[in-house]
Amino acid sequence: MMANSGALALIAWLLPIFSFLVLAIVFPFRRLGRPAAWFSTLCAAGAFASAVLAWRIQSVAAHPVHLVWPWLPTAGKTIADVGVLVDAQSTIMLCLVSLVAFLVQFYSVGYLHDEPAPALGRYYAYQSLFAFSMMGLALAPNLLQLFMCWELVGLCSYLLIGFWYQRPSAARAAVKAFWITKAGDVGMLVGIVMLYRLAGTFDITELHSMAASNALPLAGLSIITFCLYLGAMGKSAQFPFHVWLPDAMEGPTPVSALIHAATMVTAGVYLLVRTDWLFALTPNVLLIVAWIGAFTALLAAVLACVQDDIKRVLAYSTVSQLGYMMTAIGAGVASAGFLHLLTHGLFKALLFLGAGAVIHAVGSNDLPNMGGLARRMPQTALVFIIGTLSLAGIPIFGGYVSKEEILGAVWGAHLTGPFLLLMLVAGLTAFYMFRVVFLAFFGTPARVAAVAHAGAGHTTPPRVAHAALHNEAVVEGAHVNETPHAHEPPATMLLPLWVLAVGTMVVGVMSTFHLGGFAAAEAAGETAPGWLTPTAVGVALAGIALAWATYQMRAVNPESLANAFGPIRSAALRKFWIDDIFEGIYSFVLLGFSRIVGWIDRYLVDGVLNLLSDWTVQAGDELRGIQTGKPQDYVYGIGAGVLVLILLMRLVF
Amino acid sequence: MTFDIGMPMIPEAALFGLMVLVLLIGLIQRPASPALIGWLTFIGFAGTFGLTFFAREGATLFSGSFANDSLAIFSKKLFVASAALSVLGSLTLRQGSFQRRAAEYHFVLIASVLGMLVLASARELILLFVSFELMSIPLYVLTGFVKRQDAAPEAALKFFLVGTASSAVIVYGISFIIGVTGSTDLAAIPTALVSNDPMMLLGMTLLLAGLGFKIAAFPFHMWAPDTYEAASTPFVAWLAVAPKAAGFIAIIRLYVEGVGAATLVWMPVVAAVAGMTIITGNLMAIPQHNIKRLLAYSGIAHIGYMLVGLAALSANGIAMVLFYLVAYLFGNMGAFFVVEAVARSENSEEIDAFKGLAQRSPLLALAMLVFLLSLGGIPFVAGFWAKLYVFLAAIDRGMYGLVFLGAVLTVVALYYYLLVARRMYIEAPVRTERVQVPTLLGVVIFICILGVVGMGAWPRPWVDATQHAAASVFAAPSASTK
Repeated sequence: MMANSGALALIAWLLPIFSFLVLAIVFPFRRLGRPAAWFSTLCAAGAFASAVLAWRIQSVAAHPVHLVWPWLPTAGKTIADVGVLVDAQSTIMLCLVSLVAFLVQFYSVGYLHDEPAPALGRYYAYQSLFAFSMMGLALAPNLLQLFMCWELVGLCSYLLIGFWYQRPSAARAAVKAFWITKAGDVGMLVGIVMLYRLAGTFDITELHSMAASNALPLAGLSIITFCLYLGAMGKSAQFPFHVWLPDAMEGPTPVSALIHAATMVTAGVYLLVRTDWLFALTPNVLLIVAWIGAFTALLAAVLACVQDDIKRVLAYSTVSQLGYMMTAIGAGVASAGFLHLLTHGLFKALLFLGAGAVIHAVGSNDLPNMGGLARRMPQTALVFIIGTLSLAGIPIFGGYVSKEEILGAVWGAHLTGPFLLLMLVAGLTAFYMFRVVFLAFFGTPARVAAVAHAGAGHTTPPRVAHAALHNEAVVEGAHVNETPHAHEPPATMLLPLWVLAVGTMVVGVMSTFHLGGFAAAEAAGETAPGWLTPTAVGVALAGIALAWATYQMRAVNPESLANAFGPIRSAALRKFWIDDIFEGIYSFVLLGFSRIVGWIDRYLVDGVLNLLSDWTVQAGDELRGIQTGKPQDYVYGIGAGVLVLILLMRLVF
Repeated sequence: MTFDIGMPMIPEAALFGLMVLVLLIGLIQRPASPALIGWLTFIGFAGTFGLTFFAREGATLFSGSFANDSLAIFSKKLFVASAALSVLGSLTLRQGSFQRRAAEYHFVLIASVLGMLVLASARELILLFVSFELMSIPLYVLTGFVKRQDAAPEAALKFFLVGTASSAVIVYGISFIIGVTGSTDLAAIPTALVSNDPMMLLGMTLLLAGLGFKIAAFPFHMWAPDTYEAASTPFVAWLAVAPKAAGFIAIIRLYVEGVGAATLVWMPVVAAVAGMTIITGNLMAIPQHNIKRLLAYSGIAHIGYMLVGLAALSANGIAMVLFYLVAYLFGNMGAFFVVEAVARSENSEEIDAFKGLAQRSPLLALAMLVFLLSLGGIPFVAGFWAKLYVFLAAIDRGMYGLVFLGAVLTVVALYYYLLVARRMYIEAPVRTERVQVPTLLGVVIFICILGVVGMGAWPRPWVDATQHAAASVFAAPSASTK
């Protein structure tokens, strides 16, 4: 039984890499496009099936399965293994990853049907590699494998954000995402190596038992956990590293759903959940985690309120929710953060894929170009609203319980400041999400949108002007509908939406009424005071009401609402200058420094190096002289060598 | 003694049979079909390779002068496997002289391998020397066998002259040793060495110089570039690996096995030779225009790195030398086979022949790149672990300076390896058509790629195997003492 779950997890992990290798090596197959896509999707489906089976076994198993092979040998001992650590946590993460990966791949067949065949094959190769890396991260038995997979998912993210690399903004966003997460990763690597110096192992299980038995020296541990947290900050887009995530929306929307909402960005949270016993030893770092998390949540929620690009709203919302999870971990209740990670993975993937359906139909990312879509695409509207209600934390929907648990945990940890921030965020979340719902699905169809439909080209002049004005993404090249009216997406896209919607609802209902495994989870987090739930739901409803009044009833003039928050709004429109600060740091500090370094490099380092390399090359030329080609000289060489050796031996004695 | 397949000498007997068979075919069928002879030799080598797996560890013959310990068995596998690869690669050789005299070529080659196998097991000075010569003399013949009419005999003659000089040094050294110990048994060396007799040390030093020639260590390396340049490439691929491995085995037998702590006497000398070899090999590789000369000098540098591992004179160090040998086998043979493929199509062994190879034959260029990266010691291909491990072994003995020197010169090595890569990937091709790679050559290159990448991704089994092989050297004083 036990070995089974290990093998199943292994199958789930290796199926995508099999698919990747087939697509990568058999390039004629990859270039076929569609067959390659279905092959990859099939592998992902198989991975999901075995992940579920592994989870079914492991959720009732008493012990985790530790299935590893020694790797990186040195004399006498193994530095690190590769393999899988199968426990309840990793298998449920595996289920989430494989489910969303499978659905996104399935959805992409419809979404990217205009893509040329070779590009489609390339897309699926990346998707498979990503699924493999993310599962390897989830299952990693040691920090080294986790770090390698961590870097691999970063690579896949880079490749997929820049999937339309012909577009400069996509290429730039890919590089930005790569560098900013990399900055965190450096910290993380330092942390891992320092931890190895301290504990002598990378193995998570061993580290855990060391931490449990107080065998870990506490001195310097704070620096280590902070370094690990740096990595998590980069990956999970915590302030001030959050700037890459909204730009990452340059990638195809299914990619955003998979990587930048449901899975990769939660890797940072997962790392902290996986090592919460380590962080528990350093409460000062946890406090930082909580405050930065709460602040990130608020900052991103405010930013989400002023975005016109539907994907950017969702991106900031993701940042905000990641802040929520981090705050829970900072409060010392990692399980609450992990639960929110799982529910958020479901409904945020749903929202992104729903947004993808809308973009697919309208041919634009911008809310002003939408409106009244509920009549044209009722199914999409319905699932999108389910996702929105989940995100807002309304009872019986997916995000309700996990959000309550986080709030309860933060309150229970006496973090009043972060708690108030999160409460505010709850209201803002409901507001900005329903702003999207009302603007996109209700109200009147936008005139600009009609223009977009009338034009047969991929980009229309108003869009381009708009994009230029806001310095934002040009319309996704995926599909511009040529019919005058937006319509429901094809079945390949609708089906994943419904699967996710039903999944969200099932989780929501079960958790709200304490059914199944949630009863146990609930018991653990039963610290919340009685007033908390009504308050949180009330705040959310207030946010919904405000959005309704503003954008549906037009009872409140959006302009006057905006003016009421004038300075904040204009600051938010400039993204609180954080991107500008990064830009400034980049162009003045970094580039300035680069110029200085460049000068030193060119004239000093290069000078010395050139001299050295000239000497080296010259020495090579000089030495050539001894290679005369005359055998008598060679024999002299032997004779001289013998003499020198004898002299050396004489010197020794 | 009853006959069984695990007995010592069984692989040797098989090779001897093969040798006679090839000779007979060559005498009967005139001219002998190169394909027949080649395949026969290959199958013979493959079969011998299989036989080595049955060899029983610790078995001895002839009153202990011929012993099959784990080191012997490991190195026999190495010799036979590399010879099999070389034969497979040379099956497609088209040169006239090779076509006409295939039986002689293979006969001589088998004789040399036979010498190596005996050498690996030899526990007796005379047997060691004779088997060494059995290995070496065919190499002189093979060097002059094919290829450019004037260059090959010249190189062969040079190789022969200097080789003979080094053999003379070896015999001279052996005479001192026998004089001091009064015995030809290797087991007598440790006791004599501990007695600190200067004549003994002189003998051993002379012997070391002679063996240094065989492994092409500085300053005994000068034969290598001339020989490599002139001889046929599939043979050179093997020449650059197997005889050197044999030299190392002999050194291990003579200087490390059973000597105990007294072996540390040799540490400064070996370290000095290692350092000088790394420096000369790497520096002299830079100005080369001929790819085979470049690989020859880089091979000398690799010998230096192996000597670093040897200088540690520890079980771990010896194991890592063996590991390095295997990594070097795959990387170096692979590189030479790619050279053969390109040289055949371009009729040139200049580095410039590689210009724009990536555009013409992307897979071949990629293979060459992988081999070069392995030789350069880039993670995660075989050569990286090899270098890392010999360095670690040396650090265990506190030889930080030597390791630092080696690491710095790795950068120099990367420079000239990447010069080749640059030709392949950045410079524009002179011609555009694909480089035709004969199927068998492709197979051999593929095997080498598997080896390089496999060892890089999963070094564990190789490390275990080499450590097992090296363990016998440090086992309790050898059982061969009568």
